[in-house]
Amino acid sequence: MADSTANPPCRDVIELALELPLARFSLRVAVRLGDGVTAIMGPSGSGKTSLLEAVAGLRPKTRGRIALDGTVLLDSATGVRLRPERRRVGYVPQGAGLFPHITAMGNVRFGARGAESRVRAAIECLELTPLLGRYPATLSGGEKQRVALARSLASNPRLLLLDEPLAALDVGLRERVVPYLLRIHEEWKVPVLYVTHNVGEALDLAEAVLLLREGTVEAYGPALEMLSRPAMARAAEAGIENLRHGRIIAHDEAGGTTRVLLDDGQILAIPLSSSRRPGDAVNLAIRAEDVLLAVERLHGLSARNIVEARIVAIDRVGRDALLRCRPGSESGPERRPWLVRITPSAVGSLGLTSGQEVWLAIKSHSVRLL
Amino acid sequence: MLTAQDLAVVGFTLRIAALGTVLIIGPGIVLALALARYQGPGKSVMETLLSLPLVLPPTAVGMLLLSVLARHGSLGRWLDAAGIQVVFTWKAVLLATMVMAFPLLVRSARTAFEEVDPSLVGLARTLGCGPIAAFLRVTLPLAWRGIVGGTVLAFARALGEFGATIMIAGNIPGRTQTLALAIFQASQVGRDDRARALAGVTVLVAFVTLWTAEWLTRRRTRRVAT
Repeated sequence: MADSTANPPCRDVIELALELPLARFSLRVAVRLGDGVTAIMGPSGSGKTSLLEAVAGLRPKTRGRIALDGTVLLDSATGVRLRPERRRVGYVPQGAGLFPHITAMGNVRFGARGAESRVRAAIECLELTPLLGRYPATLSGGEKQRVALARSLASNPRLLLLDEPLAALDVGLRERVVPYLLRIHEEWKVPVLYVTHNVGEALDLAEAVLLLREGTVEAYGPALEMLSRPAMARAAEAGIENLRHGRIIAHDEAGGTTRVLLDDGQILAIPLSSSRRPGDAVNLAIRAEDVLLAVERLHGLSARNIVEARIVAIDRVGRDALLRCRPGSESGPERRPWLVRITPSAVGSLGLTSGQEVWLAIKSHSVRLL
Repeated sequence: MLTAQDLAVVGFTLRIAALGTVLIIGPGIVLALALARYQGPGKSVMETLLSLPLVLPPTAVGMLLLSVLARHGSLGRWLDAAGIQVVFTWKAVLLATMVMAFPLLVRSARTAFEEVDPSLVGLARTLGCGPIAAFLRVTLPLAWRGIVGGTVLAFARALGEFGATIMIAGNIPGRTQTLALAIFQASQVGRDDRARALAGVTVLVAFVTLWTAEWLTRRRTRRVAT
């Protein structure tokens, strides 16, 4: 069900009213999306990729209506069904989907439409010049994503569909690709549908968020408003991000910090944020990989936030280990656990086990005020 | 040593094998692609039928062809009325090699097409390619190795075809005699030296064929893999 109370911040240009039978359920999406970046979120298998493929024209069983800024791509009622090659919708699938038998240059040129200057601009925008002669097998994950983005841009799309463009990248690489994504939207003025699991990424990049569950729209609205929804909190866990809601207590101008009282009673120091007044409600995000963990009480550390906690679960997430650490003592009040992402080798060498007492360190600068 | 007659046999065999292979490439690729993409009922029946010539004795295939193409056969009657003679002519040799080589080409090309990631073909479509352009620019180059391999196998099979050929084309020196048939005949009449010389030629031709294919596919692979 689309949320009718939320007002998306952009001009609505994408009209979706489609239905597509999938293995376990039907994808049913009826929503109008803006001309900015819309993040599509939701648990695995909720139909996110299928939605992109339906819009791109790669799912022949799609029925209903898809229109893009006045151009009808699909309308079952009037029998309109533009073939994928006529839709001018750029699609970058998970893993980039480069053609392995041609060079990076060949890939960028593959679907080039319009002036040659467009190809050059795409190459410049994504800084591909040194890579052009190489074959995809020799490119790193981030380089592949950049080539795939340039390939889409060179085809002069009216809409860009990105399926977890950053998921395959490690954290450092992700930081390097995000600016390119931001630049694409600003410089090329193309609306973007962006599938991601990562709430932080969605907040960094998207103006609006569309939450899918079992093929239907659970919620849709401006990214920041969506934060308070429980569904978003679940999505945040899937994206391995600590999201917290709280109120400003006081500013410490000299110390350069602002203190925030979280809903569960913890107090967190964040970088000085004078624009907000004490009492203001705030949303905070801390990446799970930005939380440091120690097995002994910490002394003399620059991090402003030290939390005494107990490990309640150790899971494996991809190559990393994901720890849930509940703050405070067992007899104390119930507090929300922190997600901590570390390497399995750290788990091994520190001998971490469930139930163990640990100290978490959170730099105030790794807390993002949303 | 090879006589002028032997060289004529070698030339005839190479021409027939080359022509037969060229003629089956087009239909073979189309059928291979259809089999690779088609998922409906009857797929396994079609695949089994197609592979039948690979496991039947070639003489049995020849016998079936003969019964269809002979003057009183279902197709032969019609051809005869049109004044076309197939049986015991070079056309019969060509037909026999084509029928025997076709399944090898299709099997190998089909496997190659099945290994092409269909999502890449979809991507080519979103980048403005129609179905044919997407096939020529993505599917075909990616399946190239398997198609070359299948073509070479088919050519090699055509070079060595014996059983089906002798059934529908006979073994007529100067008219339908290929290398394989000539070796058989020479050995039958006690000309072991000639049989050995001709066998040597087949080894040489086969070697050059396989080596060329290896070189072609290797060059391609290196580009993709490195």
